[in-house]
Formats: sequence, C-alpha cells, structure tokens
Amino acid sequence: MIYRETGQFRTSYAEDQAIFRLREDRIGIAAILAIAWVGVPLLADEYLLRAILIPFLILSLAAIGLNLLLGYCGQISLGTGAFMAVGAYSAYNLALRLPELPLLLDFFLAGLIAAGVGIVFGLPSFRIKGLYLAVATLALQFFADWAFLRVRWFTNYTPSGSVTAPVLDFFGWVVDTEREKYWLCLAFVCAIALLAKNLVRSRLGRSWMAIRDMDIAAEIIGIRPMHAKLSAFAVSSFVAGLAGVLWAFVHLGSWEPLAFSIDMSFRLLFMVIIGGMGSILGSFLGAAFITILPIFLNQAPAMIGIRLSTAMVSHLEFMIFGTLIVLFLIWEPHGLARLWQIGKEKMRLWPFPY
Amino acid sequence: MAVASAPVATSAERAARRERRIGEVLLAVENISLRFGGVRALSNVSFDIRRGEIRAIIGPNGAGKSSMLNVINGFYQPQEGRIVWKGRVFTRMRPHEAAKGGIARTFQNIALFKGMSTLDNIMTGRILKMRASFLEQAFRIGRGRSEELRERAFVERIIDFLEITHIRHVPVGKLPYGLQKRVELARALAMEPELLLLDEPMAGMNLEEKEDMCRFILDVNEEFGTTVALIEHDMSVVMDISDRVVVLDYGRLLADGTPEEVRNDPAVIEAYLGVAHG
Amino acid sequence: MAELGPVLEVLLGGLMSGVLYSLVALGFVLIFKASGVFNFAQGAMVLFAALSLVRLSEWLPFPVAIALTIAIMIALAWAVERLVLRPLVGQHGLILFMATIGVTFFLDGFGQTIWGSNVYQLDLGISASPWFLLENLFPGGILVSPVDVFAAAVAGSLVLALSIFFHSTKIGRALRAVADDHQAAQSVGIPLNQIWLIVWSTAGVVALVAGMAWGSKLGVQFSLSFVALKALPVLILGGLTSIPGAILGGLIVGAGEKLAEFYIGPAIGGGIEYWFAYVLALAVLLVRPQGLFGEKIIERV
Repeated sequence: MIYRETGQFRTSYAEDQAIFRLREDRIGIAAILAIAWVGVPLLADEYLLRAILIPFLILSLAAIGLNLLLGYCGQISLGTGAFMAVGAYSAYNLALRLPELPLLLDFFLAGLIAAGVGIVFGLPSFRIKGLYLAVATLALQFFADWAFLRVRWFTNYTPSGSVTAPVLDFFGWVVDTEREKYWLCLAFVCAIALLAKNLVRSRLGRSWMAIRDMDIAAEIIGIRPMHAKLSAFAVSSFVAGLAGVLWAFVHLGSWEPLAFSIDMSFRLLFMVIIGGMGSILGSFLGAAFITILPIFLNQAPAMIGIRLSTAMVSHLEFMIFGTLIVLFLIWEPHGLARLWQIGKEKMRLWPFPY
Repeated sequence: MAVASAPVATSAERAARRERRIGEVLLAVENISLRFGGVRALSNVSFDIRRGEIRAIIGPNGAGKSSMLNVINGFYQPQEGRIVWKGRVFTRMRPHEAAKGGIARTFQNIALFKGMSTLDNIMTGRILKMRASFLEQAFRIGRGRSEELRERAFVERIIDFLEITHIRHVPVGKLPYGLQKRVELARALAMEPELLLLDEPMAGMNLEEKEDMCRFILDVNEEFGTTVALIEHDMSVVMDISDRVVVLDYGRLLADGTPEEVRNDPAVIEAYLGVAHG
Repeated sequence: MAELGPVLEVLLGGLMSGVLYSLVALGFVLIFKASGVFNFAQGAMVLFAALSLVRLSEWLPFPVAIALTIAIMIALAWAVERLVLRPLVGQHGLILFMATIGVTFFLDGFGQTIWGSNVYQLDLGISASPWFLLENLFPGGILVSPVDVFAAAVAGSLVLALSIFFHSTKIGRALRAVADDHQAAQSVGIPLNQIWLIVWSTAGVVALVAGMAWGSKLGVQFSLSFVALKALPVLILGGLTSIPGAILGGLIVGAGEKLAEFYIGPAIGGGIEYWFAYVLALAVLLVRPQGLFGEKIIERV
C-alpha cells in the first residue's frame, strides 16, 4: 500500500491534467530531483560523473528527441546521429565565426539549424511512409558523415578533421569541472523534458499521436498530416541537435565526425525501443540501460574471474542488444516504461492483490 | 419498429417537430461519378441533404454508399460532378477542408486512435478549435493552459451525454466494440459538426446497443440541430428515424424520397428489399 | 576515342558492382514480396553466410562447406521464422522492420563470436589478374576483373533460376498467392509458415551467393554488412516488389555512383560513392514514391 489512490480526489480539470496526479508520484519526483541536483554532485566522484552520468543525461536528451518523432508521431529515423552532428558542427561554427554571440544563443541557434535540416529531410515523409522513410533518414546519415569529413569548411580546415570546442563560458560562468558540466547537462535535460512533456499532452502532441495511430482518421478531424509530421521532425531534430551540441562541447571536448556515425543513430533507436516508445520516462530508462550495459559487460565477467577480449565484449553487446530489441518488440512494445507502470500498479494494490 | 420507440416523444410528435426544423439545402452532390481504374463505383449520382434532417443512404453491399461518404468528406476525388456545401461549389473537397467546413464522420470499421485514451481521442476532435501557439503549448502558459481546461470541460459534456464517463482514461484499444463505436461518435461530435456522416453506426451491435445508438443519434439531431447522413443496413432503424432516404444500387441512384415513398417504390423492392426479404 | 576508354572502364566497373548490389537487393525483394517484411537483416545474412563459408572451407572440402553453409542458412531462416516473425504476426510493418534491425545486430555479433572478426580471404579459384578488353580500340584496353565477370554471370543465372522457380513451379505459384493476399492464400490452404520458411531460406541462399561474390572481391569482413546497406537505395529505386526492378536498380546505382565519383567527385572532395546511392534514391522517391517499377499503392478507407 505504498501507492494509495483512495482519498485523493481531483476536484478540477486542472488537477486531473497535472503531470503527476498522485501525491506519491509528486513526492517521488521531488526526491529524485533533489538527489539529482544536490545528492549526486556531492557524492559522485569524477569518474562516475564523466564516464556515466554526463553521457547518460545527454543521451537521454537525444532519446527524448527521437522518441518525439518515433514514439509519438510514428515516423522512423535512422539518422538521429546526423541531427546531433548538425547541431554540434553548427554550434562549433557559430562560436568560431561569430564570437560576439553568447554561447547559450549559439546552442539555441544550433538547435534551430538542426530543426531546419530536420524539416528538409522530413519533407519526403509526406509522400512516403514507414520503411521508405527509414531510407530517407539513412540518406541524411551517410550524407552528413561525408559532408563533415570532406567539406573542410565545416571543420575550419584543421588538418586532422578533428575540432575542439571553445571554453564553456555562460555569461561569465565558466563550466570546467565535471560537477559543473553535470549541472549544465542536468539543467538542459530537466528543461527539455518538461517542455516535451507539455507538448505531448497538448494539441500538437495529440495531433502527432493521431497521425501515428491512424493517419487517415487524423485527416478527417482536420489534422494536416504534412504539418503534424514536419513539426514532429522539427521539434525532434531541435532536441537531437541540442543533445549533439552537449555531446560534443561538454562530453567529448574535441571530436571527429565518427562521433556521430550510424552507430550513434542505432544506439538511440535501441534506447527508445527498450525504454518505451511514446514515453518521456522511457527515454531516460532506455538511455540508462544502454549506457550501463557495456560497462557492466566489461566489468562483470572480470569480477567472477572470466577474462573476455574487447572484441568479444563488443560482439556480446551486439547480441544482447539484438536479442533485447526482438524480445521487447514481441512482449512489451512500450518498453521499460510500461514495466515500471505495471510495477506501480502492483504497488498500488500491494500487499492485497485484489 | 420497436427499435427506436425508446425516445420520449412518439414518432408523430417528432415528425411534426422536425417538419418545422428542416431548413434549406446544406449539401448537394451533383452528377458525381467515381471510378477506380476500370471499376465504376458511382455513376452520375445527385441528391441533396437539408439542414436539420436525418438522411439515410441505403443499398445492397457494393452499391457505393461508403464511396459516396468518402467523396463528400474528400477522401476520394470524383472524376466528374461537383459538391455544393453551404452554397460554395467544390469540384474536389480535401479532408481538412471538409473538417474545417463542419463535416465530421465515423467509419464502418472503427477508425479510432488505438494508442490514446478515450479522453484524448475525443480531445482530438477539438484540435481545430484550439489556437495556442507552439510556445504557449510547450510552456503551458496563456492559451496553452486555458484552452486545455476549456476544451476539456466541453469534451466532458459530450462524455456525459454519451454515458462513457467510466472509460475516460482507458486506452480505446482495450474497449469492447460497442463502446468504441460510441467513442468514435463522441470524437465526431466534439468537432461540433453541422453535418455528421455515420457509416453503419449500428453494424455488429446487439439490440440494446442499437437502441442506445438510435437514441443518441436522435438526441444529437434534436438537441444540437446537427444534420445527420447515415448508412445503415437495418431497415427498421432506417425507416423509423430518417426523414428522407437515398437508395443506391451498383453506383446508381435508384430512388430518393421519404421512407414511405422509398418503401413502395417498385424499383427498390425489386433491387433491394425484394432480394433482402425474399 | 582516347577520352572514352577510362569512362567505359568506370562504367563497366560500376555495372559490375551494381550486379552485386542487385544480388543483395534480390534477397530483400523475395522476403518483402512473400511476407511483407522489410528485412533489414539481409546485409547481416550476407556477412554471416560469407563468414560461415570461409571458415568452414578452411578445414572442409569446398563443396561440403557450401552445402553446410546452405544448411546453416536454412536453419537460420527457420529460427527467424519461429522466434521472431511468428510471434509478431499481424503487427505493424514498422515493428517488424525494427525487429529485423534487432536480428541484424544479433547476427553480426553472433557471426563474429563464433567465426571470428578478422578479414578472411575467400578464394574461388578465379585468377585475380585483370583482363584487358578491346586493346585494339583503346590504348591499354579496358580493365575488367574476372571476379566481377564471374559474379555477374552467377547473378544472372540466379535471377533466371528464381524467375523460373516463381513462374513455373507449384511452390512459386503459392508464393505469389501469398504475396498478393496473406489471408486469402491461407484460406485456400496454403501453409503460410512453410512458405515463409522457404522464402527466408531462399533469401539465405541468395545471401550466400552475394556473400561469395562480395567476399572474393573485398575479403570477408564486418564491413560487408554495411556495403550491403547500399541495397536499400537500390530497392527504393527499383520498387520493393519488383525483381527486375532490383536488378535494374542495382545497375543504375552501381554505374551512377562510379560515374558521379569520376565526374564530380574530384570537384567536391571525393568519396561521393558513400552517399550517392541514397541521395539518388531520395530524389526518385520525391518524384515517384513507389519506385521505378513498384506497384502503385491505392489506399482504401
């Protein structure tokens, strides 16, 4: 009886529309936020922040971006990595060529540029569906890989093709310790997650889901498929682009185009499928799972005395990801997020199963 | 005719009330012809629908009834003919134009959004009435907040009216067939349509569900003054609730008139009733 | 005429690699036609088949290795049908597609775990030294690789065999019936599961042929899985349901990307081959969404 719904009456539609309707949920999220903002930075060491928590946060953000498109609007993308790359290189060039602009504005503009590219590559989605769209977004992925490698202007003609982010100076606040970087990412993630949640429970989100569930029926209630799909592409790529900026500027520091290859795109796709399509919470769960699994695979066998080669670990990773994708699609297409919800419903009844 | 006798008023009273209410021509289809490749789905069909009436479209399977509805709300583009909607002439109607102009419809095989709750499904019917900007929605400020509350209140009235309060938060994919049909009607009503197109609203229902649905259709027509055009196979329902009936057969207009006229039309008896009732 | 020599050589080389794309695309089309599944794993199957063959042939006579590899591909088809497709019957195409992405990753990992992840040479006993054609017309002649010619010949006979199979055998007729309408085919007593098994096995054998051709050209290695991704734009060009479309699409992509590299590559930094096929496919999609040879889809409400 940890969850008790009885006695909590919602007396207005405003209360019924709240993100967290139950008192227990509100307490829970407050606790999580407190731990994330205060507890973790106090307790975690540099390795934990740098190698696990910061990548987790940024990948969660990118997964939210893909989830808006795939999970809410039903449009597949195999090019999320490319949208991240567009964000990262846009921000790099903005900071490089227009140094007078504040860095925060660079981030924002980079997101907008990614959104613009998203709209352009979303245009085919009006004429083609599902599987064809997969190829269209794959086209973007390969084109972006090539462009950032071969068109030297993007990398400012550096001989190696690798570029380095500028100093992270936000109106005088210089972000240079791992803890500050963590806070920066956390701030972005919290803000975007809230905005995304608001969007999906508003008119726009409902029109996305309508397109996802039955585009023909969506049309007769006055939704214009083109408008809904393109807006989903735009918002999704904005978020992915922003995640790309953070990945490059905050996590990597200096990077090559390879950082945003098709591997990244697939990894994000897996996060969304495993975490839960059509769930903001799922994006976090999926990102956590995919971030932690390789680390676990690297360390767990050693702990029980088995030594695996690096190649072996990466093959194992492939196999486990592949298997999990199939299993989740068969058994729980709504992913970890749905399992979490089922768990909560059980808790609501616990210890009386009826 | 037991099916529709449930409503409070007797048939005679209702007919008299409707007589006063039925107004000018709301929609006219003129000489519509529709082909798919070599198959003629509709040939040279014309009829009109007057404001405030309940208009039935009947005919054997494959007569072109659903195709007619699809032409009216813009899914199919007829090769010939035109549609006059509220005095405006369209040679082709687009689905979103139809929706904006006030035409709503339900489908023969339910077309709900399976992954969304009943409430969200019905809320989608209000999408055209909402004006909040992108930023207002993202930050849930201004109209982004007030509209959600206002439209929710509106939708709740429809939920009350159709007696589906208990399934508000249930994903529609989990609902039984009869309730799904009702939710689909609710979504169409949420659009506050001037013309409601219903494609076999009672197909596959048991007697009790049919009675409920008849009552809802009559109530909608009387209380909101909504014009209704429906396709239905159950002749007793058609004869009882509709003001005028169009009969289609092999894509052609066979007869058009009051239920009595149509029932006594020799061509109709030959082609349709004759076959159906031996 | 001196100008034409190199161009012809590029064109011929492009057509030859186009044939290889066609081979991979052929596997996609087979599966899509019969089961409506867009099988992303076809590329992984190519790699897996090639890896199996090359490692088995290290300690078995070559014909035995081929027979064994075919058996492995049939077993794989059976496993995919039983473990992945059957539980997902009736699901949305997008879900099935993502499931085959899962299969792709599993297969890539599994193949390299059991067969190793080095680059293996596949020797089909064909001389590696190039032929020079038309030496009397062009200075130095036109350079053609015998391996390419062999691959083209194999691909040609495979296509011929498949079309005979499709059009003249009982199984072929059943396959076409299934492709038209699953439910109708089932109601006249065509066992869907068996048909799928046959189709996936056939696709497995096609993958093996493609793997042999690619492997003898590039060596058997992980990157084959990505080369095979080029079959996707080929499919888009040709239309998902057309076998001649897959062949022609492959030739267009192969020749197009080589010619583009030759003519505009140097001007914009090279490496156009990497994306040319995709962008070409995208352009075709915008004009003709069903591909060059695909059937137009009429949507019913």
